Amino acid sequence: MKLRKTRLGRRHGLLAVVVAMMLGLTACGMGSGSGSDDKTLTLWHMEQPPNRVKAFQKLIDQYNATNPDYKVKQQVQDWNQIYSKIAGAVQSKTQPDILFTIPDFTTYVRPLGSVRPVTGLVNKLDKEHGFRDVATEPYHDDGEYWAVPLYGMVQMLWYRKDLLKRAGITSEPKTWDDLLADAKALTKDGKTGIALPAGKNLATDQVIYSFLLTNGAGRFFTKNGDVDFNRPEVVETFAYYRDLMKYSPKGSTNYSWGEPQAAFNSGASAMTVEKGQYLAPFEEEADRPASDLGCAPIPQPTGGQPGSIYYSNAAMVMSDDDAKAKAAEDFLSWLLEPKHYGEFLNAEPGLFLPQTEDGMTAKSWTSNDVITKYRDCVHKMLDQSKSGALFGFVDGQYIDKIGNISGQNILAQVIQKIVVDGDDPASAVAWGEDQMKSAVSH
Amino acid sequence: MSSPSAPGMEGDLRTRRVRAPRDGRPTPAPAQRRAPARRRRTHRGERVLAIALVAPLILIMLLIIGFPLLNTVWLSVQNQGVIATPSDFVGLDTYRQVLGDSTTWQALEKSAVWLVGNLALQTVIAFVTALLLTRAGRWSRITRIWILLPWVIPTVAVAVIWQWLTNGNYGIVAKLFGGVGLDNVQFFADSTWAMPTLIVMNSWHWFPLGAVIIYGALQTIPEDLYEAAKLDGAGAWQAFWHVTLPLLQPVMFALGLVGTLWSFNIVDSIYLVTRGGPGGASTTAPVLIYDTAFKAFRTSEAAAMSMATIILLGLLAWLYIRLAKPEEV
Repeated sequence: MKLRKTRLGRRHGLLAVVVAMMLGLTACGMGSGSGSDDKTLTLWHMEQPPNRVKAFQKLIDQYNATNPDYKVKQQVQDWNQIYSKIAGAVQSKTQPDILFTIPDFTTYVRPLGSVRPVTGLVNKLDKEHGFRDVATEPYHDDGEYWAVPLYGMVQMLWYRKDLLKRAGITSEPKTWDDLLADAKALTKDGKTGIALPAGKNLATDQVIYSFLLTNGAGRFFTKNGDVDFNRPEVVETFAYYRDLMKYSPKGSTNYSWGEPQAAFNSGASAMTVEKGQYLAPFEEEADRPASDLGCAPIPQPTGGQPGSIYYSNAAMVMSDDDAKAKAAEDFLSWLLEPKHYGEFLNAEPGLFLPQTEDGMTAKSWTSNDVITKYRDCVHKMLDQSKSGALFGFVDGQYIDKIGNISGQNILAQVIQKIVVDGDDPASAVAWGEDQMKSAVSH
Repeated sequence: MSSPSAPGMEGDLRTRRVRAPRDGRPTPAPAQRRAPARRRRTHRGERVLAIALVAPLILIMLLIIGFPLLNTVWLSVQNQGVIATPSDFVGLDTYRQVLGDSTTWQALEKSAVWLVGNLALQTVIAFVTALLLTRAGRWSRITRIWILLPWVIPTVAVAVIWQWLTNGNYGIVAKLFGGVGLDNVQFFADSTWAMPTLIVMNSWHWFPLGAVIIYGALQTIPEDLYEAAKLDGAGAWQAFWHVTLPLLQPVMFALGLVGTLWSFNIVDSIYLVTRGGPGGASTTAPVLIYDTAFKAFRTSEAAAMSMATIILLGLLAWLYIRLAKPEEV
């Protein structure tokens, strides 16, 4: 009896070991290619608003209906997670076939491997549709293009015509002095003249950078690629931003994208600086006619130059498999055909701007209600795009560690030192230069 | 010497029964000597079975806890920048760099303020709420259900709610403060106010959990003890001090320990609202680690900070257990 029990125990033990090993092997097996379909192209993007996802899906459905060899499937990602997620995905060889990107994110992803050069495709599309220089330049490095430009975003000065008129201001501000004077005049009765972000975030980086560009201070690096941030024009721009902040709502030092827009639409602030996402919701959120929304190029200082931050959003091809990479390129080519391109841009009308010459005149884009209604502002944005730039990619530079600077929001931190800690602009900019040097040295 | 344990005795008897010769002669000595060997084999078989049964769990634990931990240790002795890019072994250089940086110590200071603030505020609110919930009445019954509401709200929603509440343009809290002459308070936007406001926000989010646990523990205290205390002439305060508090000690101890570790590691609440700002006023150690890894792309430094934090938390937990472990009541 005991003997039988012992044998039984041993048998159970062996059985359990076998089961454990099988479980282990099963678990290991699950890691590779889980659920992946060889005939599916996976597209990752970080455009989370439901209207954008829906519009993308509509286009993807149209493309898949053409019976391509590889069907496209979108997967929405979060900007806050994507850095760690893509690194893990590349390591485990489960990266997407197509990944949407911005220039500084590309500098982060490229060293991970898996990003394919798309020079041939970009050159072909350039011939067919005419890419704008501002769209392609930030993706050109080592003699290759690393992403296919898809849509642009540019900042403008937005103002409430009704509020300016009520304050007796008859023309839009064109210079820094105009803007400061108007912001001051409009700050009364619990309202503020301008809503500016000064939180430790990218929104703040972007707005201050637009002002830096207008003051000829948009280039942070020497020809050799060394940090060259601590310059008089940079200090002057930060001092100007500090002065403008006096006419921005209380709490602006924690503002990001949403708060200035809410203040602007509610009439709590008369002006702000942002990209084209202000167009589509204005009438509904502000409860004012479209004609009350004014836009102007970013005001310039005396002796300054036109300029505004410009984001060229693009798509990287990351397939391991050549056939899939070719299929990914086919999909991107299809997307940039004028009859589809407008539909793609109108996933967020006004914010997503065309990157191709024929895209700018494509009926599929211009016929959109928002684009039609705010035609004047849309034209101004396209015009402003010509002087658009992005730090790290100015004058043909390609600073491959720029992500370390933008990721840490060093520009925003400099502003915070000035308006929160009360530092003088010169010492805050000097601190910023040290931070930038430290960031790129790693 | 006979085995004192029943199973052992049963085993011996069974062995004897199996091995006893039919002619009734005494059991041969070799068979008797073999019995302990068989027992050992039996125990070994059971041990193998036991190990095999828990093996999958151990394997999974090793994979999901052990591997990342070892990977973090390995990363911390390298000089890796962007995650998953090539790096070199640098020994303890990364630790020297991190521990020699004043930013790390400032972040740990902020973490201490965050930890003490949250623990103190949450404990007081949770305790008071739990005591109020024990009262009989309709409002108490209703509140017992609704009290959990702040806890079930997702952190991201809590962050948005509090940002709107304190918004300088239209936030009701900002308006109320303005009504009493404190219209210059910029809750999340002022380096003086940001951390206290975050602590209040986080405590509001988490206190219901503590309140419900304490309320549950209060229900387990026998009514007789209060009656006996009353007979001995104890007032409400003395009953609370000498009956309630000692009996709640084990629960409070566990809550304090878990709460300490939990609070220390919070990133989301802070990050969603201030991102560690303004001017670094709310950059706690976990926020700094996140920023270092995913914003500055200095993976090894973040790993070294993580290891230092793990050691610190371990020490903190050990100290807490040594100092606050409840005595047997």
